[in-house]
Amino acid sequence: MGSPYEALLRPLTIKGLTIRNRIMSTSHAPSYGDAGRPKDRYQLYHAEKAKGGIGLTMFGGSSSVSPDSPASPWNQISVADDGVIPYFQEFAARVHGHGAALMIQLTHMGRRTRWDTENWLPTVSPSPVREPASRSIPKQLERWDMERIIADYVSAVRRCREGGLDGCEISAAHGHLLDQFWSPSVNRRTDEYGGSLENRMRFGMEVFEAIRRDVGEDYIVGIRMSADELIDDGLSFEDCLTIAKTLSQAGLVDFVDLLGGQARDHMAHAIILPNMAFPVAPFLPLVSAFRAELDVPVFHAQRIMDLATASRAVADGHVDMVAMTRAHIADPHIVNKLMADKADDIRQCVGAGYCIDRIYAGKDALCIQNASTGREATLPHDVARADTHLKTVVIGAGPAGLEAARVLALRGHEVVLIEREALAGGQLLTASKATWREALTGITRWLVQQVQKLGVDLRLGTEATVETILAEAPDIVVVATGGYPSDGWIKGAELAQNTWEILNGSVEPAETVLIYDGLGQHQAVSCAEVMAKRGAKVELVTLDRAVGEEVGGTNFPVHLRELYRLDVIMTPNLTLTEIYGEGNKRVAVLRNDYTLEEEERLVDQIVLEFGTLPNDALYFALREQSANKGKLDLEALIDGRPQMASSTEGQFALYRIGDAVAGRNVHAAIYDAKRLCRVL
Amino acid sequence: MVGLILSVGILAILSGGLLVAALRVRLWAKGRPANIDWWTGIAALPRRYLVDVHDVVARTPLNARFHMFAAGGFLLSLPLLLLTGIPGFSSPWLWSLAALSFIAAILGALLDIYRRAVLRPGELSRGGFARFPFLILIYALAMLIIASVHVLGGRLPFEALAPLIAVGLGAAALLIFGLGRGPLRHAFAGAVHLVVHPRPARFAPAPAERRGIASGLEPLDLDQPKLGVETPSDFAWNRLVGFDACVQCGRCESVCPAHDAGLPLNPKALVQDLVRSLDAQSPDYFGTPHTGIASSRPGRPDQRVIGEGATLHPDTLWACTTCRACVEACPMMIEHVDAIVDLRRFQTLDKGATPGKGPELLEELQATDNTRGLAAVRRVDWASDLSLKVLDESNACDILLWLGDAAFEMRGQRTLRALVHLLDKAGLDIAILGEAEKDCGDQARRLGDEAGFQRLAHDNIELLENRRFGKIVTADPHALHVLRNEYPAFGGHYEVVHHTALLLELVEDGRLQLPDLEGEQVTYHDPCYLGRYNGEYAAPRKLLEIAGAQLVEMERSGPRSHCCGGGGGAPVTDISGEARIPDRRMQQAVATGAGCVAVACPGCTQMLEGTAQPRPTVLDIAELLSGAKP
Repeated sequence: MGSPYEALLRPLTIKGLTIRNRIMSTSHAPSYGDAGRPKDRYQLYHAEKAKGGIGLTMFGGSSSVSPDSPASPWNQISVADDGVIPYFQEFAARVHGHGAALMIQLTHMGRRTRWDTENWLPTVSPSPVREPASRSIPKQLERWDMERIIADYVSAVRRCREGGLDGCEISAAHGHLLDQFWSPSVNRRTDEYGGSLENRMRFGMEVFEAIRRDVGEDYIVGIRMSADELIDDGLSFEDCLTIAKTLSQAGLVDFVDLLGGQARDHMAHAIILPNMAFPVAPFLPLVSAFRAELDVPVFHAQRIMDLATASRAVADGHVDMVAMTRAHIADPHIVNKLMADKADDIRQCVGAGYCIDRIYAGKDALCIQNASTGREATLPHDVARADTHLKTVVIGAGPAGLEAARVLALRGHEVVLIEREALAGGQLLTASKATWREALTGITRWLVQQVQKLGVDLRLGTEATVETILAEAPDIVVVATGGYPSDGWIKGAELAQNTWEILNGSVEPAETVLIYDGLGQHQAVSCAEVMAKRGAKVELVTLDRAVGEEVGGTNFPVHLRELYRLDVIMTPNLTLTEIYGEGNKRVAVLRNDYTLEEEERLVDQIVLEFGTLPNDALYFALREQSANKGKLDLEALIDGRPQMASSTEGQFALYRIGDAVAGRNVHAAIYDAKRLCRVL
Repeated sequence: MVGLILSVGILAILSGGLLVAALRVRLWAKGRPANIDWWTGIAALPRRYLVDVHDVVARTPLNARFHMFAAGGFLLSLPLLLLTGIPGFSSPWLWSLAALSFIAAILGALLDIYRRAVLRPGELSRGGFARFPFLILIYALAMLIIASVHVLGGRLPFEALAPLIAVGLGAAALLIFGLGRGPLRHAFAGAVHLVVHPRPARFAPAPAERRGIASGLEPLDLDQPKLGVETPSDFAWNRLVGFDACVQCGRCESVCPAHDAGLPLNPKALVQDLVRSLDAQSPDYFGTPHTGIASSRPGRPDQRVIGEGATLHPDTLWACTTCRACVEACPMMIEHVDAIVDLRRFQTLDKGATPGKGPELLEELQATDNTRGLAAVRRVDWASDLSLKVLDESNACDILLWLGDAAFEMRGQRTLRALVHLLDKAGLDIAILGEAEKDCGDQARRLGDEAGFQRLAHDNIELLENRRFGKIVTADPHALHVLRNEYPAFGGHYEVVHHTALLLELVEDGRLQLPDLEGEQVTYHDPCYLGRYNGEYAAPRKLLEIAGAQLVEMERSGPRSHCCGGGGGAPVTDISGEARIPDRRMQQAVATGAGCVAVACPGCTQMLEGTAQPRPTVLDIAELLSGAKP
């Protein structure tokens, strides 16, 4: 008897705080801060998780305590002055109103930030060792710096308490100031703050002791730290365990929030923020060993995306709180769905890393599959039912069409969804053919499941024509027919293949291959990996400064690792100008964009990636018969207002979304669909 | 002359019948003593017969009619025949009256024969009861001819009438000597049973839906040397009378959910087994047996009822869900469930022979005071974010929410959260007992662990003694039943209300707005412990109607509702059959075409959700009313 997920729904009490269940979201930096404050957008994003039943949501990853750890990179939160307190109070009221606990992460980032921001102060660190990731060379901390920063930590914790937050954690992970002291890879000091582990721990101890002295015994203060830096010159598992034990046994921390790895360079980012290439919960064993040794609750996040894994982690005693941070970005209502016996309806994170990759590219966090996350104010997660129920036809069951059908069905409309192929999924079916990218199909698998549950009339293997569409007498037609591979208007392109043909398996890789990437996204690098794995000798050429330049920070390292392992030759800074045949072979003419010198490659096969061009024939065939002539009111779309209703009897409104308009990405397709359809 | 012979003959036969009956009474006397209020019982007999028994019999109008004619005619004919031999009484008028009684008996017998031969309901037994109408027919026909002769002037020679007299008296003798082991015993035992009925409260005047409800089990004196029933003589004697009253009409058989699902329990066969266990000379049983169990052998008053070579197979005992459908259907007011529990008490308390996961459950109860074997704090885990008041000695509340053991499980928690949400919305002052609440003891008691039950009852009563509250509200009809009907025997007297009753009150007072269920087809499954055990059928239906749902009734509903299979510890003893009871019930729900089965008991919820898909969604009334989508 009982549910396999029961362990997740047990409350956890830490000091005076009872957290209603074991599911949490760890602090992260979605870049929703506004002038260093968590305002509506930030608060609503977390309130949605609270509404969705989460036990504890922690916000403000890397919220800064000092002016030389600036808040402006990644639009972070500054807890360095009292002005933040009213925002905390408003935030806490919002989250507590939904029964969840709210905590924040505080940190001084040390060298792991930039100096060329609002305050133009040098970054600081125990030793002036440059971090590859942040690219900054820090100032070596003086004693007065240390005292100043300790005082800043203390003040910041006080602000959290005054702001009504249930607690805070001090970050000593991802190479922040505290773990810069700890890690021998950074700390080269010879004074009492360097050398032995005890010396390297000294600064951290001073910070926590000062905090505890000021804030008292009853306020919850935790630590976020690595369980093992997993590098030769870094902190070992034993070092980390000693640190955690020392802090917890001294009563200085009330929980330990653990992860595996560190973040000093690109590959380290990919590991510490594991994407779909990694197994599920890769660092759980490390964390489990900590929990066995510690007397305070252990939190852990790292690619725990499904309830089965989460429940096992708690039930088997590996962790006390299981963090499903990215899982909540994909679906903030996980716990409610679990409690309502609707676990099947959870939109599961696929590990695409779109959210975090956007952060590393300096943009705001958005979910590849859930357009409402981070847009709670304008694009609610729940879709309201329409007053009048219309007949709608959606053409194309890729991400855009599926999302459109889902949202229209939730509105209460009657929906016919027509797909030419025998399988729904559109381009994601192709993308997922690339080895570790397989989990992408989870996006459309969920959408298909949902549209089926909602009673959408899904017609697979059916070619939509003007006649068949009009025969449905629709009120609304949404064209989501996607795109087809562009040939880039390259002279001789007919002699080349495209990445789709290779990934879908309709064309076999030849012996020597040149892949030309005119896009810089996942497609070409994925294709190169697949071809090399199948034995081709591959050269990947791009006009960018590096291959896969548009691929985000947690994904490109995995691509590069695979390409290097497979001996793929990567050649940047060349533009493909022409292809011609020579016997059975192909010649690619490449031009160096800087010297304008041309060079040629003689290969068996040339594969092109130029993104997609829209499949728009159906749209244009329907356009003149539609009431709105296909016109989209962009202001209305942006403002979340309905489009002009089709007033003429017997006519339909026509809309075009996703790559059928212009080749973009999955998020764009889903966002197009949701923001249009939720008000139709 | 003829009158005298008949009169003397009937007198002799009746004397013989008296002797036979006395022998039967001696057998009953083997049972344990019972506290009986004889005068009340005797005074109440006509009403119990004409109102309570008739109410049940008349659910099949043909039966009421044939019985009235056959029994009325036959019984009336006996004194009339006696009178014919007394000089001065014999007159054409008397003979005419007698003739009328015979005609009535013939009509009744023919109707019964028509029923048995033409309608052929499957639940009827063959054997004695099948021969019964023929005997009455022969008796009444023979006597009718004799009476007709007398009415018309009586000029036929005695020799011509003698064979008819012989046949008529012979038939009468066969009928009346059946008071011991034949079908006529039902009249005698039935009448005595109505006088000495072990649950006189059943007959208290009440509105129709609450009539016949006296459902709490009697406490067992734990200081007795023997606990529960091992041999027939361990039954109180009036229980033995009850078994003997059985007419094998099979109404219990046709409503028993266990029998329906092919579990090895047929309540009619069970009662017959209990009759046969008392009397080695019992005639064979010619009805439907317990599914999958070879026919039972008769026993003796001092022989074990259950076990190897005994009358009853243990599986029969443990297949019962205590749903009381049989009791509700029985025209003879037999208390099948009491007998089952009496027998289980000995099996559990003396032999430790509770089957399946029963022993585990009872051990968990002993160790943790709940059936799930979990720490007490887990009863309130689900409520950690609801800021519910926990009742202690220092505070008070209007409504004490009795959580029940469903609070340990996600499914039950969902209902409870929905209920708390509704009560909050209505602005009620509610509280819980928190970790102090213990299992009410329902399952322990139904599984025969009376000691475990009494321990829990005493603990809970002592706790409630020290808490200040208005009334108790629960979403668990089992807890409702135990707290309302069984704790009073241990000194716990509370106003206990089912959540649907409270919700209806709130809606009618305008304190609670319901969501719009317009257009939703919903069928409501009556929980046995709310319906048959407590007579509450209206509130859940009314709530659904007020919310605008379209209520479709299942083939069996209300007092005739079909158990989900979850009562009486049946899910833990887990006796298997040809089908599962919840699947059978869900089939009835599916047949309504409704998209949602509304339930009002956490046990029913779990049983009905544990059925094969596709099926309607299963939602508690509280969930439906707090906005869960059907």
